[in-house]
Amino acid sequence: MAPSSYKKYEKISFLGEGQFAMVYKARNIETDDIVAVKKIKLGSKEEARDGINRTALREIKLLQELSHENVIGLLDVFGHKSNVSLVFEFIDTDLEIIIKDQKIVLTPGNIKSYLIQTLKGLEYLHRSWIMHRDLKPNNLLVNSAGILKVGDFGLAKFYGSPSRINTHQVVTRWYRAPELLFGARHYATGVDIWAVGCILAELLLRVPFLPGDSDLNQLDRIFSVFGTPSEELWPGVKLLPDYIQFKPYPAIPLKEIFTACSDDLIEVADKMFSLYPMKRCTATEALKMPYFSNRPPPTEGSKLPMPVKQSEEEPSGKPNLKRKLLDQISDSIPGKKRLQF
Amino acid sequence: MEEDGCPRCKTTKYRNPSLKLMVNICGHTLCENCVELLFIKGANTCPECNIPLRRNNFRVQLFDPHVEKELDIRKRILKDFNKKEEDFATLEEHNAYLEEIEDIIFNLCHDIDILETNKRIEQYKKENRESIVKNRQKISKEEFELEVILENEKEISEVRNKELTVIQENAKKKKTLEKEKLIDELMFSSGDAKSIVQTYAEKMEEDKKELDLAPPPPKLTKFSTGIRFSSSIQQQYLPVPKIDEGPIFIYEEPEIELYGPNIPRYEEISEKNYLKHIRQENQTERAGGFQSKIACYRAITEAMQGLYPF
Repeated sequence: MAPSSYKKYEKISFLGEGQFAMVYKARNIETDDIVAVKKIKLGSKEEARDGINRTALREIKLLQELSHENVIGLLDVFGHKSNVSLVFEFIDTDLEIIIKDQKIVLTPGNIKSYLIQTLKGLEYLHRSWIMHRDLKPNNLLVNSAGILKVGDFGLAKFYGSPSRINTHQVVTRWYRAPELLFGARHYATGVDIWAVGCILAELLLRVPFLPGDSDLNQLDRIFSVFGTPSEELWPGVKLLPDYIQFKPYPAIPLKEIFTACSDDLIEVADKMFSLYPMKRCTATEALKMPYFSNRPPPTEGSKLPMPVKQSEEEPSGKPNLKRKLLDQISDSIPGKKRLQF
Repeated sequence: MEEDGCPRCKTTKYRNPSLKLMVNICGHTLCENCVELLFIKGANTCPECNIPLRRNNFRVQLFDPHVEKELDIRKRILKDFNKKEEDFATLEEHNAYLEEIEDIIFNLCHDIDILETNKRIEQYKKENRESIVKNRQKISKEEFELEVILENEKEISEVRNKELTVIQENAKKKKTLEKEKLIDELMFSSGDAKSIVQTYAEKMEEDKKELDLAPPPPKLTKFSTGIRFSSSIQQQYLPVPKIDEGPIFIYEEPEIELYGPNIPRYEEISEKNYLKHIRQENQTERAGGFQSKIACYRAITEAMQGLYPF
């Protein structure tokens, strides 16, 4: 990656704000490309003393080595003053917006296309020894050509190390696999596959499939659908650190939940929603299942539905309140100019 | 009169006009008091045919006992035999299906081949479990749509009522205003009192005619349920986009360039004894989805990766 500076990019508009970063739409002055610049927040003084935020480090460290059609591309990283900014390719929308858009009809072909692209990206990551650990519709970005890209690597990590312990507090709760909820410290790519299963269900239902409001409630919701696991179904489940005995639920066949859904897709969902992580399919195994090669074929990228574009002025005209306040604060500090990215 | 009595306590409608006859699924009648008595010790059976009864299955008898019995059976059967005409390819098939339902109901009502018939029902239920559930949902959807229509109608009538009251109020106000005007005129004008009263009366008459001629705008036809129905439904569902068939998906193994010697496939890790000298994962690790095989494969990959840099 060529050395670069903040001068290379020209801010166009404010796009959004996450827990650790603010995202701007910007233009590369040299090439005229539109990019998304993710400016990592410094955080409080205590946090800043520890150095650069670890989610940013993860993104920089992992994404630099990755290159796949269905994984977001990190174009550039630059520092300015005490800030670090990451430059990504600019992507119009994400799966959450598409799912929530009432005006969009998702055909079986559309769903197949999104699933294939997600799994292809994921297969690439898993083969590169990376688990994403934060898959959700919001992190599956879709560009105007209908190409889906896995984004946000703030929680991603290498897997497959026998001695390293991982935290179980990963993945947005609704998409969190049962082994994580039971506090497993050694886990693998199964956590991502479970999340893909939840995303698949959400594509079909158009509402979150398992919207738990606490970790316990999440487990309760999972077991009320898939049945409470026994030692036979999930060997060793009782040994997991946070294991709790749940009241026994019978499993509901997925066919009764997704009544309008084809049998080959139910087969895929069944495999992804296996409670025992070892029985869960891998991304490669999933892609080899008959559903993906059966008819209807996946919709071609250019024919995938896109949400109606909102007026582009709006987000830049009205930054949210929090940001305004922050700007004011930084303005008011004497001798400290407003930071550019 | 004989028929209208309770078979247990022999009370008749003639002797007790407030007698309420109840009927259960077997079609045998009992009066309200006897039902009360029957269930005093918890569950009990029908005094006539000895089949076990449930209290909440007792209903007030509206028709003859055997009609009631048939209604009960019909209700129960139709719950499962819920296919619609659309579910059949031909009209004959649908007719045959309806005939079969009637056969079953007739048999159950008249206690013919009960065992045989019940077997038939069970078999049907087993064979059509999925479609039964599906159709039930369909029916509930229809009910929902019906509810929407009713709701709409209610709204419309409310609006109409409001309009009517507004018109009535306006008329009332006008009347009082006119009256006041008349009194004012009578008090202060110099004209003849009689002629004033007369012109006023004529005016009133005219107004009345006007009111009669122009009743509240009849909006009924405009909101006939049929029209409302189809239009509201069309608004609820978006048209499904035309399906353009692209190429079928064929899985291709992703190529990851190792820049090193070939490594065994993942499946070969356990087959070729690579795991022999590696610590087996413990049960907790396995329960979380971790396998030594993964770690072993990663170690092999990374050992070979990048050995041939140029």
